[in-house]
Amino acid sequence: MLALLFILFAGMAVGCAISMVAQRNPLYSAISLIGVFLALACLYVTLGAPFIAAVQVIVYAGAIMVLVVFVIMLLNVEEEDRPMRLRSLTPIAVGLAAALFAETAFIIFFVHWSPATPTASVSDVGLTSSIGAGLFTTYLLPFEVTSILLLMAIVGAMTLASRAGLLPREAVVVPGYQVLAREVLDPRTTPDLTPIVARSTGEVEEALGVEEAPQITDES
Amino acid sequence: MIGILVAFTVVMTMVAYTVLAERRILGFIQGRLGPNRVGPGGFLQPIADLLKFIFKEDIVPDKSTRFVYFLAPTIATTAALMTIVVYPFGPDIHLPFTLPLVNTNTIPLVIAKFDVALLYVLGVTSVGVYGIALAGWSSNNKYSLMGGLRSSAQMISYELALGLGLIGVILQSGSLNLQSIVEQQSGHLGITGWNLFWVQPLGFFVYLTAAIAETNRVPFDLPEAETELVAGFHTEYSAMKFALFFLAEYVNMFTVSMLAATLFLGGWNGPFVHQLPWLGVFYFLGKVVLFLFFYIWLRGTLPRFRFDQLMSFGWKFLVPLAIINIVFTATLQWLGVFDYIGQVLKTSTGWGG
Amino acid sequence: MVPQLSWYLALSAVLFTIGVVGVMIKRNVISMFMCIELMLNAVNLTFVAFSSFFRDVTGQLFVFIVMTVAAAEAAVGLGIIITIFRSRESLDVDDESVLKL
Repeated sequence: MLALLFILFAGMAVGCAISMVAQRNPLYSAISLIGVFLALACLYVTLGAPFIAAVQVIVYAGAIMVLVVFVIMLLNVEEEDRPMRLRSLTPIAVGLAAALFAETAFIIFFVHWSPATPTASVSDVGLTSSIGAGLFTTYLLPFEVTSILLLMAIVGAMTLASRAGLLPREAVVVPGYQVLAREVLDPRTTPDLTPIVARSTGEVEEALGVEEAPQITDES
Repeated sequence: MIGILVAFTVVMTMVAYTVLAERRILGFIQGRLGPNRVGPGGFLQPIADLLKFIFKEDIVPDKSTRFVYFLAPTIATTAALMTIVVYPFGPDIHLPFTLPLVNTNTIPLVIAKFDVALLYVLGVTSVGVYGIALAGWSSNNKYSLMGGLRSSAQMISYELALGLGLIGVILQSGSLNLQSIVEQQSGHLGITGWNLFWVQPLGFFVYLTAAIAETNRVPFDLPEAETELVAGFHTEYSAMKFALFFLAEYVNMFTVSMLAATLFLGGWNGPFVHQLPWLGVFYFLGKVVLFLFFYIWLRGTLPRFRFDQLMSFGWKFLVPLAIINIVFTATLQWLGVFDYIGQVLKTSTGWGG
Repeated sequence: MVPQLSWYLALSAVLFTIGVVGVMIKRNVISMFMCIELMLNAVNLTFVAFSSFFRDVTGQLFVFIVMTVAAAEAAVGLGIIITIFRSRESLDVDDESVLKL
């Protein structure tokens, strides 16, 4: 039963990984990578680590990949065309892939040493309480350093975003102004955003330099 | 297996009638009657809507990427429906006889008992964001793209506030297992032990606001408002796929109401629930209906937030408030205030359950 | 038949190799970044497998920290990618071989 689950999830992980490398459209690669993460989360559950499985789904599949998908959509990334450069490399690649396959088959079929049976319910290693106990007593220093690392990442991301171009220092954000992605990223097209205060349409036309619209009358 | 079928049927029926109830209650708030022609008092309206969705023409835009276009409503609906398996609908029912096929005499009213049930719910909600982002992208329409990106940005910002608001409850209950959180909330007459009253009023406010923003409801529904962005990310969807998005939104509403009822309002606790266990189901569903009515009431009453107001509210107000709640709860837990409150207010089988 | 530890290690090696192949083949910077994430996940699988078979919680703690580092790296890395895209208008790695921005 456990072997069947392992084969199912491992097959899904390897299949999605190969699909990710083989796809040329980066959005499809991102979706395949999400499939890999979900398959790995299921494998973690069969290994008796439910907390890590839930954290994998929340952090990797739910946050990091959302960020990657946002970037792909904002930058409008297109499919890549890979020119075939050296045809003589193909047999070498096939040979190496066959070697990898042979090694994997050898490990699965002929290596029978294992320290213990895998646990799904016997040990309490993967419970949240034991992870919490370890994180706050023995491994407190890595925990605190990780929080400082996250702070550095936040500051770094904000610095990269506030350089001239993404948010020019003299720009006034007018609510309701339709902002499209290209305008956000291109520093050359920041328009003049000072508001015009006027009391009639004529004054606005003078301020904008627009000539008066032709009046529609009954004479043709 | 039977549990899944029963829960699915119950949830889908309640969601269908929530749509009808919303239209009628909104009508009453706005001084008109809602749909009341089909069946007595509009009772068969959901069936008429279902037939309409099935028979409508299915339009696929010309230059959209077809695989992602079909995948997006699937992801949205699946993620919305996957969360109903961990909620305890009631306490374990002990029958005086043993059932013939399964050879037990207890019927558990939870479909799946995890130890990390609460994290599972948060994880599945995170995956539901993809349905909206991919729908916005694959429609090849700039209104859909803007609506989809805005909606996804809103959802991932308020997911943070949602998770932080729940930490107070986890600190105080000491467990991520939903059945044990509910059991710890039993008190005198089934009401005094609820987490809302003495333990987490601030956490409840943070969670409820974040939940309304997560499900894209008024006052946070700029990404799908009809007058602002045509229809946002589901502009180009028609017939069954639109019905799936519509369904996913209402099931999401149902799911966060169930989570609020479980964590803050005591789940299946109520008067006399330990003597008559099957009353727990009615109490639980009654609390969920209360939340759904609250959602509909908000929709008829409040105006919308503008998008930059929405984002600054989420990041600059809710997240610091949730962190203050965590610090406060942790301090009270360490001082032992909650243990004292627990002795006074909570019982396991007190008078009246 | 119960899955042995060696099976998990073999799966992790295969995933890691697929990630390395992806980094070498792909020309798009974002696709290369995704292949790096795949390599990190393969290593995570090794850690969790060892932690489960040897009944030690250290492996899962390290996975927790690796995930946090990967999240931080994703944020900053994608910011750098957007900055490069703004000045060069292209996401092809061959165009980004000059150090001048």
